Amino acid sequence: MAKLLIPTPLRQYAGNHDSLEVDAATVGEALEKLTSQHGDLKRHLYNDEGKLRSFINVYVDDEDIRYLQKDKTPIASGAVISIVPSIAGGAAPGGSYGG
Amino acid sequence: MIRIEQDPWAQMVEHARAVYPNECCGAMLGTSSNGTKLVTSAMRLENAHQGSQAARYELRAEDLLKADAEARKRKLDVIGIYHSHPDCDAYFSETDLKNSCPWYSFVVLSIKQGEFDHANSWLPDADQTSAAKEELEYGE
Repeated sequence: MAKLLIPTPLRQYAGNHDSLEVDAATVGEALEKLTSQHGDLKRHLYNDEGKLRSFINVYVDDEDIRYLQKDKTPIASGAVISIVPSIAGGAAPGGSYGG
Repeated sequence: MIRIEQDPWAQMVEHARAVYPNECCGAMLGTSSNGTKLVTSAMRLENAHQGSQAARYELRAEDLLKADAEARKRKLDVIGIYHSHPDCDAYFSETDLKNSCPWYSFVVLSIKQGEFDHANSWLPDADQTSAAKEELEYGE
């Protein structure tokens, strides 16, 4: 079993759990099990084309799966899977939105 | 609505002043209930943007993981992200929007001539196409 940490804003779509145990061989399988058990999570993690939203990174322990085997990254028992957004920005030229 | 307690607010402003004329960034930790978010702690994070940081910031995912771990340890949640806009207003820029995520409140601090001027909080949507202004209270 691996432990999947649920980011705070998504807990309301995951039965208010802050983490869930999943029995899966790969990251892709773990996320699939997660979203099949908690259907409301799907639209928050995936876009209309069924791809992970662009701002979402997935880590296994401290490793970014983009630098491993992506969704085919194997997960060992006891591994911790984290869902982490990528965030950047700034007042760079090019116009503003809002304000 | 988001309310930032005096201590974390003072830390955020000090952080923004300290790195002026560059942009600062960090995480806001606290609690959320009945539609009100309360920030009780601010956590400075490193601006990892490569190149000039006068109008850009970037958070490392690893640092966000650390912020999340710290929040869990203290029985708090990551409520939002803050960053500063040196010598311009606290709008949500296109750059902010295109690199945002809809899970958090984004507090922008306007720092003019090295001093705090004003702040706004923003709630971007999942498609990164718009952001709503969120009621913000801070200090006192």
